[in-house]
Amino acid sequence: MEAPPVTVMPVTGGTINMMEYLLQGSVLDQSLDSLLHRLRGLCDNIEPESFADHELVYLLKGQQGNPFILRARRSLAHPTAPWHLRYLGQPEVGDKSRHALVRNCVDVAASHSLPDFLNEMGFRMDHEFVAKGHIFRKGVLKVVVSKLSRVLVPGNTDNTEPLSLSYLVELSVLAPAGQDTVSEDMRNFAEQLKPLVHLEKIDPKRLM
Amino acid sequence: MSQNLAKLAQRIDFGQGSDSDEEDPHEQSRVSDWSKPDLEGEDGLAKFQPCSWPWDSVRNHLRSSLTEMCVLHDMLSVIKEKKYMALDPVSQDSIAVKTPQVFQLISKKKSLATAAQLLLRGAEKLNKSVVESQEQWRQRDFNAELLHLRSQWKLRKVGDKILGDLSYRSAGSLFTHHGTFEVIKNTDVDLDKKIPDNYCPLNVQIPSDLEGSAYIKVSIQKQSADIGGLGTVSLFRKSPKAKPGSQAWHLKLEAAQNVLMCKEIFAQLSREAVQIKSHIPHIVIKNQIISQPFPGLQLSISLCHSTMDKTNQRASPEKTKPDDHLYVLEHNLHQLIRETLSSSVMPHPASAPFVPKRLRVAGPMAYDKTARTIDSLASRIEDPQIQAHWSNINDVYESSVKVLITSQGYEQICKSIQLQLNIGVEQIRVVHRDGRVITLSHQEQELQDFLLSQMSQHQVHAVQQLAKVMGWHVLSFSNHVGLGAIESIGNASAITVASPNGAYAISVRNGPESGFKVLVQFPRCQAKELPKSDVLQDGKWNYLRGPYKEVHWSKLEGRNFIYKMELLMAALTTCP
Repeated sequence: MEAPPVTVMPVTGGTINMMEYLLQGSVLDQSLDSLLHRLRGLCDNIEPESFADHELVYLLKGQQGNPFILRARRSLAHPTAPWHLRYLGQPEVGDKSRHALVRNCVDVAASHSLPDFLNEMGFRMDHEFVAKGHIFRKGVLKVVVSKLSRVLVPGNTDNTEPLSLSYLVELSVLAPAGQDTVSEDMRNFAEQLKPLVHLEKIDPKRLM
Repeated sequence: MSQNLAKLAQRIDFGQGSDSDEEDPHEQSRVSDWSKPDLEGEDGLAKFQPCSWPWDSVRNHLRSSLTEMCVLHDMLSVIKEKKYMALDPVSQDSIAVKTPQVFQLISKKKSLATAAQLLLRGAEKLNKSVVESQEQWRQRDFNAELLHLRSQWKLRKVGDKILGDLSYRSAGSLFTHHGTFEVIKNTDVDLDKKIPDNYCPLNVQIPSDLEGSAYIKVSIQKQSADIGGLGTVSLFRKSPKAKPGSQAWHLKLEAAQNVLMCKEIFAQLSREAVQIKSHIPHIVIKNQIISQPFPGLQLSISLCHSTMDKTNQRASPEKTKPDDHLYVLEHNLHQLIRETLSSSVMPHPASAPFVPKRLRVAGPMAYDKTARTIDSLASRIEDPQIQAHWSNINDVYESSVKVLITSQGYEQICKSIQLQLNIGVEQIRVVHRDGRVITLSHQEQELQDFLLSQMSQHQVHAVQQLAKVMGWHVLSFSNHVGLGAIESIGNASAITVASPNGAYAISVRNGPESGFKVLVQFPRCQAKELPKSDVLQDGKWNYLRGPYKEVHWSKLEGRNFIYKMELLMAALTTCP
C-alpha cells in the first residue's frame, strides 16, 4: 500500500488578487512630531506602535524581459515573527480620476528560511535597507511613517546610515480589485493631513 | 430715546381740559403749545433738564389734577346741598368748547400710547439681550463640555447628530454590538427658575440595552445543594462615586461601557464553551453557561444585567459583602478580553497586511517549529533516518509535511512508518499510513516524543520486514510491550523471530528511551554450560532452543541497526 500523497491544498485564502492602493509623501525630521501628533488624533486609538524592519529586495533575472522582483521583509524588533514576502505588480495605468496608485499585490507570510529558499530558487539579493518608524491604522487604512537607512555592511543591520533628512509617509489600503471607493476614503484622509504632509499618487517608474 | 420719552411724558397733563366747568386761564396758551411743537420742544427741553426722572412732570401733573379733582369734588358736594351755592346755565357756544376737548383727549391718548410703545420696545430689546446672553453662556458651556467629552471618548458627527463610540472596536474587538451613544444638548431647563447645581448642558443617550449595570457571576454548585458561590466578580465599578470634576455623563458612559464589556466577555466565553469539546457538553442557555468540570460539580457563569431602577437596591448588599468581589477572577477576565482583542495587532514587519494574529501563528510559525523539531531530530539521530517532504503550496491555515522513517540502504523493504503531519492553526494532526489519526499540540516536545517512539517502533518493524526477506519466521510481535521497564515516552516494542530451520531465535526489544536489547536463543546442544539431562536421552531434544544470550551489539560490525541485524541473521542461518 502506498502512503497517501502529500496534500496539495488549493490556495483558497482571500490574500490572492488583492490590490494595494497607495499614496506617498514625506516630511522633514523636524516636523515629524507634529505629524505623529496629528495621526494619533486621527487614527484608531490602539497604542501607537513603532517598528524596525529589514527589507531585502530580490531579483530573478530571466533570459528576456524585466527581472522579477520580490521583497522579503523581517521585523528587527520581533525576531520571532514570520518573514513577509511581497510581490508588487506594475502600477495600473488606469484612469486619471483615481486618487491613488493601484497595483497588484501578493502577500505571503514566510518562515525564517526564506532567504535561503529564494537563493536556492535562483533569486539574487539586489539591495537591502532598514526602515524604522511608526505604524498607525484607521479601519482598513494603514499609515506608515518610516525612516529609511542604508545598510553599510551587507547583512549587518546595526550599522546603518540614514538615506535622507526626512521620513517617508505611506498611506495604503489592501482591497480586492475594483473597489475604487477606498481611494476616495484615502483622499479624504490625506486631506486631513494637509498641510503637514501632502500625500500624492507617485509613480515609481517616473522616479527611476 | 429717553429724551423723546420725557418729552412725551411731559405732554401728559391731566389738568388740560379735564373738566368742562373749569376754565383754566392757561388753557389757551397750552393749546397753542400743541400747535407749536417746535417752540414747545425747546421749552420742554429746558423744563425737563433739571429733573432726573422722566415721569416727574407726569407726577406733578397728576398731583395737580388730583388737587383740582378734590376741589371739584368738594364743590360739587357743596352744590348738591343747594344751601350755599346753585348752578345756573350760562349761554355759551357749545361747539367751540367741545372741539378742543375731543382733540385734547385724542392727543393725550396718542402720546400715552406712543410712550407705552416706546417703553415696550425697550423692554423687549432688554429681554432679548438677556435671553441671548444666557443662551450664549449655555452654548459656551455646552461646547466646553463637548470638548471635555471629546478628550475622553471617541466622537463623530453624522448629519446633525453627534455620535460617540463606546465599543472596543478600535482596540481590535470584533464584537457585533455597535456601541454608539448620542450626544444631546440639555435644553429642558427652565431659564426663569434657578438652575440646579448639578445642571449640565450636555447629556448623553446610550442604547437601551447598555443601560444599568452588569457583572459576571461565577458560582460552583455541588450536586444540587449549593455549596455557596465561589465568588462573584463585578466588573462594574461599585457605587460610582463621583470623582471630583467628573461629570454625570462620564459615569453614565463608563457604566455603559462596562455593560458592553461584560457582554463581550460573556459572548467570548459562550463561544468558547460551545467550541470546546468535552465529555459532558457545556450548556449555554440565554445568559448562563453551565459546565461540569468534575462529576457532581457544576460550574455556572452568568451575566447579570440590571437596569437603572434596580441599581440602588442592589448596591447596598454589595457594600455589605465586600469579599464577594474576586479580584483574581476580574483580572483573569480582563486578561481574557485583552487576549481576544490583541489577536489583531499591528503587523510586524510593517509591510505585512492586517490579519488576525492566529493566521500568522498558524502558517509560518507552526511550520517553522515543526520543521525545526524534525530537522534537529534528523541531525541528531542517524539511525533510523527521518525524511521530511514538505509540500510547497499550502493553505493559509494549514501546511503539511510527509515524514518517512527509514533505514539507510533498506529503504525499499522498510517503509512501515509513513506519517503525514497536517500543521494547522491550533494543532498538528498526524495521519498514519494505516489511517490512524493522532492529534498533537504545537509543543515541540510533544512532536519530538512522538517521533522518537515512532523511530523506536520502526526498528522493530524493520526487523520484521527483514525476517520475511531472510526467510525467518516471526514468532511474536508486539508494538506495545507490557513487560519490562516502563518507558517515559511511548512504549517499548518487541519481536522474536526464529531461523528458517528453527534452531535459533532472535529476540529484540526496543524502547524509545531504554534503547534496544538483542538476545539470541541457542539450541540446547550448543549451550555447553547446560548440564546433560538424564531425562532427555534422545538426540532430537538437543535441537530444542535453550537459554538466551545477549548480543554485544556495539561489537557487531555494520553501519546501522538493520544492517547488523542482517549480518546476525545471516550468521545464524545454517547453510543448506
